[in-house]
Amino acid sequence: MKIIIGGAGAVGTHLAQLLSKEKQDIVLMDEKIERLQHLSSVFDLMVINASPTSIMAQKNAGVANADMFIGVTPDESTNMTCCMIASNLGCKKTVARIDNYEYLDPQISEFFRHLGVNSLVYPELLAAREVANTLQTSWIRQWWEVGSGDLVMIGVKLRENAQILNTPLKDLGGSELPYHIVAIRRGDETIIPNGNDMLLNQDLVYFMANKKNLSKIQVVCGKEAYPEIKNVLIVGGDRIAVRTVDLLDPSIHVTIIEQDEKRCDQINELLAKKGNKVLVVKGDGRNFASLEDININKYQAFVALTGSAEVNILSCLAAHKEGIVKTVAKVEKNEYMKMAEDLDIGTTINKKNIAAGSIYQKLLAADVANMKTLELANADVAELTVGPNAKITRKPVKDLGLPKGVTIGGMVRDGVGMLVQGNTVLQEGDHVVIFCLSNMINKLEKYF
Amino acid sequence: MINRLIIFRVMGSLILIEAALLLLSLGIGLIYQEYDIAAFLYTTLIATVLGGTLWYVGRKAENRMSRRDGYIVVACAWTVFSLIGMLPYIISGYIPNVADAFFETMSGFTATGATILDNIEEGGHGLLFWRSLTQWLGGLGIVFFTLAVLPIFGLGEVKLFAAESIGPTHEKLHPRISTTARRIWIVYLGLTLTCMGCLMLGGLDWYDAICHSMTCTATGGFSTYQDSIAHFHSPYVEYVITFFMFAGSINFTLTYHCFFQRHFGRFWKDMELRWFTWIIIGATVICTFCLWSRMYHVNLSLEESFRQAIFQVVSIVSTTGFATADYNMWPHVTWSVLACLMFMGGCAGSTVGGFKVIRIVMLVKIAYNEFRHILHPNAVIPIRINEKVIDGGMRTTLCAFLFVYLLTIVVATIIFNFMGLAFSEAIGVSLSSLSNVGPSFGRFGPEFSWSILPNAGKILASFLMLIGRLEIFAVLLLFTPQFWKNR
Repeated sequence: MKIIIGGAGAVGTHLAQLLSKEKQDIVLMDEKIERLQHLSSVFDLMVINASPTSIMAQKNAGVANADMFIGVTPDESTNMTCCMIASNLGCKKTVARIDNYEYLDPQISEFFRHLGVNSLVYPELLAAREVANTLQTSWIRQWWEVGSGDLVMIGVKLRENAQILNTPLKDLGGSELPYHIVAIRRGDETIIPNGNDMLLNQDLVYFMANKKNLSKIQVVCGKEAYPEIKNVLIVGGDRIAVRTVDLLDPSIHVTIIEQDEKRCDQINELLAKKGNKVLVVKGDGRNFASLEDININKYQAFVALTGSAEVNILSCLAAHKEGIVKTVAKVEKNEYMKMAEDLDIGTTINKKNIAAGSIYQKLLAADVANMKTLELANADVAELTVGPNAKITRKPVKDLGLPKGVTIGGMVRDGVGMLVQGNTVLQEGDHVVIFCLSNMINKLEKYF
Repeated sequence: MINRLIIFRVMGSLILIEAALLLLSLGIGLIYQEYDIAAFLYTTLIATVLGGTLWYVGRKAENRMSRRDGYIVVACAWTVFSLIGMLPYIISGYIPNVADAFFETMSGFTATGATILDNIEEGGHGLLFWRSLTQWLGGLGIVFFTLAVLPIFGLGEVKLFAAESIGPTHEKLHPRISTTARRIWIVYLGLTLTCMGCLMLGGLDWYDAICHSMTCTATGGFSTYQDSIAHFHSPYVEYVITFFMFAGSINFTLTYHCFFQRHFGRFWKDMELRWFTWIIIGATVICTFCLWSRMYHVNLSLEESFRQAIFQVVSIVSTTGFATADYNMWPHVTWSVLACLMFMGGCAGSTVGGFKVIRIVMLVKIAYNEFRHILHPNAVIPIRINEKVIDGGMRTTLCAFLFVYLLTIVVATIIFNFMGLAFSEAIGVSLSSLSNVGPSFGRFGPEFSWSILPNAGKILASFLMLIGRLEIFAVLLLFTPQFWKNR
């Protein structure tokens, strides 16, 4: 599949790397040669040093036979413009990154489609959704929604009070279970479990489940005692913070600490329209002495969203010391993600990974016949579509003899998500969510 | 850190490819039933065992290749290919001396075309085919060939590609390197087959046509006859060879665009090609005049002087080294012209060696801009090549390259002088080796072989060919202490 990416910023670069590793044909365009030089000598992709809005440059990049154009420059108008040009030059599908919340209104999407912008991505909103989700279900570490349907995959850290510890998985309840355990991360190792594996204390367990059954998982994981979050402290008032407040349940009280006075006013203005009960405090989130005024003990969650990953991680650690159970840190550097996890920071938010992942899912819709992987822990998560007469449709899942280290988590049939059990027989057209250790995905191709 | 296992695995697969090509030569040997069959059989066996072992040792390698690994693989690949490739010559007894055989093979793979053979025709058909095949393979690059035919390297492709083709310009034809490599090879194969067809029309048998078209398109210069192209006594063959030597020294990316995407206009718009053409025309006019004019007492007819002049000029500038006349007999003024052409070489991104036209163009522009800069000290004067601005970093790289190139020639000349070569011969031999041309001046001219060079001189010349082929930095890098430090 030929994909042209306009703008080699954080999101564009991340996407380009992700896709080029998957043997897609990637063309990356950017005006600044400094951003491109390093990439072309490390990854198997083509770089074009030109403005993505240049018609000539787009033609040179071969936009006429491209499957997708992704506009991810820092400026939304540029992204819109280059997507319009790309569409008019014959590109099949376009995605633009935007900063304006209004554009996401479903009523206006037809208008944008008419202009040639097929879909929009608003990374800050996606990140905010993730923050809000994790705050509302604070016992969950990672949250990943599968395509369509109500299926979700969640990551939960088990402590000694979990009910399902030290029991072989096959004895947990078999096919009546409302969830499916798809992966276990134990230390640095990722395990795809079979019936004889057991869950241990301190494991990070990935469950696949229907959204309505999440409360049952909460119970078996011993997380029902988790304090319900009533008060949230957010440090750093960027767009993600504003969107998060917007998405949170109105009963949750939020305090935002922001250094810049002008921005404080702005936040107040932005949130006033919605009538949220938000306290905006001017101050330095790193300085806990100054935070005493706002009585840190009354908060159940601490969210660090400043521009610096280091500051976010450190202030989350400090918040832990102060007794706040749930911490969320925005970490834009991939190298820090694992470190933050080791330091027991509840949830890390990586805007560019979230944005890239979301665009990735749009690619899936453009070309469902292909295999796509999304790296998660050290395992791959792939959404595959079952082809006509595929080997996998002939027998129930348990008799297929799938290779070791592979498990089928769930599937979406006719838009309805469901779990896959040993006796399930897959049908043509099902979207199947498969979990497997890295580099195993090739062995699966013959089944589909 | 250097990832030894992945180097083993990649080297193993490369050697297996060489084994397959040796098998091809064995096939030719079997057709003619000559004395070289056993030699190819043993060599293929050795290569298969060696390649298989290396591959087996490295089969579990972590799929990670650093920049350093890439440079090591490329330098090793060329050396090991030559070491294995020389075995048929030694085993068959065609070239008994190891230094000679190594020189001949390295001269093959780097598409140089210098030979130590004084009786080429004694070789069996299989051996001479192998000799030509080495040039054809080396013409575009060993690793590049493998990238095109085998998708084995995974993530390492980019590093290997970067390490083998350090040119001043890079233009990819396709986002994926393996596809780019395949397209370039299609152009190369197409040129070779066309050349072969044209030569067969001129009355060559298929064996001669294959061998010569391979060494011609690769701008290598090995012939199956001692007196090179002059052997055929055919003006038609000479013109055909001239044309394909020229075609082989044009940037292949450009050729691809022109023929596969019908952008013929790009030929004339390309700055490098324009300069290249004008330089050839200029040099040909000078040489033709020298041969034809009564001033110098050579006294050839106009057509013959033109034909000899253009053949020799294109042969030298494309770093091929075929010969139809001994330019050592020509007026001296032509020698300096040819020496300059030897230094320059053809266009980047083709099969030629040498300093490359594009670098000359850049240097000329830089020098010219310096004059303007003196008059307008604050002016910002861009240097443009094909409408692209050459930035400061590239200019520094260019000047460093020029310096190292010249330094290498000077040092090599001094060493060759120590070995007892005359001054002009020493310069000629180092220039010819470094630029992958083939013939040189004096006793190393097109009429003679390089067999009189001492063994140490042959090894040095082989080394020069290798670093010249890999654009100097890639190989010399391995000899810097920084490269081996774990930092």
